[in-house]
Amino acid sequence: MSEQKPLRVVGQPIERADAHAKVTGRARYTVDLAKPGMLHAKVLRSPHAHARVVSIDTTRADTMPGVRAVATGPKLAEWVAMPVYGYFIKDQPILAMDRVRYEGDMVAAVAADTEAQANDALAAIRVVYEELPALPGIDAALDEEAPELFPEPPRGVVPPYGEGASAKLWPRKNVCYAFRYTTGEADVFDGCDHVFEDEFRFSRMHHMHLEPFVCLAEWLEGDEIEVATSCQNPFPLRKEIARIFRVPENRISVKVPFVGGGFGAKNNCKTEPLALVLSKMTGRPVRFCMTMEEAFLTNTQHAAVLKLKTGVMADGTLVARQSHILLDSGAYSDASPLVAEKAGYRITGPYRYKHVDSVCECVLTTTTPSGPYRGFGGTQATWASESQIDMIARRLGIDPMEMRLKNLVALHEPWMPGESGVDSDMAEGLALVAEAIGYGAHKKAEPGWTRGHGLAIGFKDGGGVNKPAQARVKVSTGGDIHLMCGTVEIGQGARTALSQVVAEILGAPLKRVEYLPLDTRYTPFDQGTNASSAITVMGQAVQRAAVSVRDQVLQMAAEHLGTDVAALELEDWTIRHGNEAHPLAPIIMHVYGGTGFEFTGDGFHKQANDHHAPLETKSVFWEIGWAGVDLSVDRETGQVKIHALAVSGDAGRAIHRLICRGQDEGAALMGLGQAMFEQMIYDGSRLINGEALMYRVPLAEDLPEQFTSILQEQEHGPGPFGAKGMGEGTMLPVPPAIANAIQDAVGVRITDLPLTPERVLAAIIAAES
Amino acid sequence: MSLVSQDGNLKVSFTLNGRATTVQTTSTRVVSDLLRDDMNMKGTRVSCGRTVCGACSVLVDGFPRAACSTFTFELEGRDVQTIEGVEGSDGSLDPVQTAFARKSAFQCGFCTSGMILLAKSLLAAHPDPDRETIIAWISSNICRCTGYELIIEAVQDAAKAIKAEAGA
Ligand code: FES
Ligand code: FES
Repeated sequence: MSEQKPLRVVGQPIERADAHAKVTGRARYTVDLAKPGMLHAKVLRSPHAHARVVSIDTTRADTMPGVRAVATGPKLAEWVAMPVYGYFIKDQPILAMDRVRYEGDMVAAVAADTEAQANDALAAIRVVYEELPALPGIDAALDEEAPELFPEPPRGVVPPYGEGASAKLWPRKNVCYAFRYTTGEADVFDGCDHVFEDEFRFSRMHHMHLEPFVCLAEWLEGDEIEVATSCQNPFPLRKEIARIFRVPENRISVKVPFVGGGFGAKNNCKTEPLALVLSKMTGRPVRFCMTMEEAFLTNTQHAAVLKLKTGVMADGTLVARQSHILLDSGAYSDASPLVAEKAGYRITGPYRYKHVDSVCECVLTTTTPSGPYRGFGGTQATWASESQIDMIARRLGIDPMEMRLKNLVALHEPWMPGESGVDSDMAEGLALVAEAIGYGAHKKAEPGWTRGHGLAIGFKDGGGVNKPAQARVKVSTGGDIHLMCGTVEIGQGARTALSQVVAEILGAPLKRVEYLPLDTRYTPFDQGTNASSAITVMGQAVQRAAVSVRDQVLQMAAEHLGTDVAALELEDWTIRHGNEAHPLAPIIMHVYGGTGFEFTGDGFHKQANDHHAPLETKSVFWEIGWAGVDLSVDRETGQVKIHALAVSGDAGRAIHRLICRGQDEGAALMGLGQAMFEQMIYDGSRLINGEALMYRVPLAEDLPEQFTSILQEQEHGPGPFGAKGMGEGTMLPVPPAIANAIQDAVGVRITDLPLTPERVLAAIIAAES
Repeated sequence: MSLVSQDGNLKVSFTLNGRATTVQTTSTRVVSDLLRDDMNMKGTRVSCGRTVCGACSVLVDGFPRAACSTFTFELEGRDVQTIEGVEGSDGSLDPVQTAFARKSAFQCGFCTSGMILLAKSLLAAHPDPDRETIIAWISSNICRCTGYELIIEAVQDAAKAIKAEAGA
């Protein structure tokens, strides 16, 4: 196997496959596309958090210049078979039917010759609302007096779960989904020396991907659908479109060019169903491009309240944990059930427990729908869990690092009963970040400031649940390699890494591999670009496809040369046989005739179903992020200055080191933003900082004085050449590591994010009085 | 000053990527729309549309401007450079582009046109910038993907390459 040979492409310092396109500005994104006769869509959004739509009058808008179609919820029935969408629960209407459920909910849409004309027409639409009580957050939605956001709960599904896991739809008022995971016996609490109960709050961020939500959709003659979109999961999107419009999937083409960032937001329907409705109404291609302000009103991270009850022995041995997590799901379920599953499942982090009982509920509120966000529930879980571990260690007088080391699940040990073994030595990673910040040896702080160190480990199952992936590799007579697979290049470097795997196996330089444009009509099936699954799930499918081609080529050559396959090697489309070199093209023409041939190999991968595993499949791999922080706190102002932030991820094997580094650093800085300042601020149900000026994201000047990322390659991964997925892990531990360092510095514990100077100062004052 | 033509449109003349250019446009047309929609130059990206993210940066007389928030008439008589004008006429990459490519100083690439132009302007003003100077300049643009470190390193590499070229 080539895996044993020295690697020539994998792990080598080569340029990304998309480098030239991106540094010259030639890369094409959905936002750049146009078609002749294209119309522009714009939507009218609800100014109320919660209201009944009494009437919509579009008569003036209908006849305004350039206007080709005006759509409203009640009118949709003419054009759409099923006007709602959602992951587990189909509850989100393409346009509001009889009710709006958040400020920004889509009420009406216009397709016009220009965006300006569409906007003018929107201003001429008259909507009469009858306001209903707003439910601006978890507490309000769960209040006894609160009205039901969905008086008739929409239908949904609960997927099959394995041992210990279960879920319920609509278990109580305004809760659309509740996930539970339990293992071991609760009575072990009785034997604990201490039981600690703490509550944590998690604030909510927006993805702020720079390329907007945008699509270019066309309803063609004969009910064929073509939609190019900035999307992370084209195949599930195709399925939703097929269901919504009752069109066979083989008449739908979803194409995805380069995507300008997503971080989770670009899963499932965003702009596409509405653009298709308008295209169907007008017979013209329709471009629907949201502004950044609209993106803030479309999808967000989940705010959360997390209650933990943890039983522990006096020596720091963890015994049992019960948790109750409430996620603010916003107005529609979106991916909330899936996020709940992950937050609930991941709440114990990387440690060993005898008993776990974890419940996570999705609470509907009158705010922007929350959905997938880098870390996917793991961020919320890690914030609470890694904070509490530190608090417990300090209460017991144990060094927080010692406490972690004592309880970490060991390399290869199953994380939970029925689960796969952990595929990183977590103590090793912790030692690396601790050393990088000089853990325990505090340097001197400036006068008035005190210095502190904090550590944390982010831990999540990686690779997704139930993700089948297929890939196809084709090589033409001349040795030009075509790679076809459904992983979206969203910036993570998937085109490069997957092409490298193919190049390595076929003994070709990277430049020989072309990653073909993604079109659901021709690209083999994939579940979606998420859960850090590209290299471990799709990577295995791609590897198999490439190995299949290589074997076919070697077999043909062996027969032609009258020798044994084992004696041959493939190198840059030449067969090496001892000291002889046989270029392949002449051999292929000889064997298959003058027109040549194309070798095709297919690959498939899916983690096997396993009912003993709580989520029905064992975790493909474990994504772990370690963080260490050295900071100072100004006791006078509550200001926090981060001197050093060290993060580390384990790539298993880095297919491309700089890409891995960039993923780890980008994730860590997102975590830093989450920790220090970044959040969506609501006044009641009204988002008051939903645009770029007011919503603060990390800039270069927010980098800590020293920012280190340490790339580990522990080589235990399931992906090609021992690779593991990455890109989410190092975001998770940053907020708790900073909170832990703040406690180390000034002895106060902040349990709410972000860790603003106001909060820190208030905690210092409270502790002093 | 730009001239108002008979049909009420503005006629604006400027240098675009080294070439004398005259456009007929309206008084409210912003540069990003002019470039992207009227001239089919899609390398200038638009994200926030309000002078915050810098994705749309172009160089006007050598300094970065937010194309999304600059009116076309403001270009009258100016020298404008977009990402399309950064590579050599023979298609060779500029040292800043090469450094970004080698360092993987991008991920999704949506900020990259703006970052590269920003870096070019920075290096013209400070051929030998220290880390603080790079951070101060780069902080005017948002990159949501990279965490900035690789961008900073690419700018450092580009500075070295330009110096080496000049010395050779
Ligand atoms: S798009 Fe112009 S500054 Fe953001
Ligand atoms: S590379 Fe995606 S925003 Fe910078």
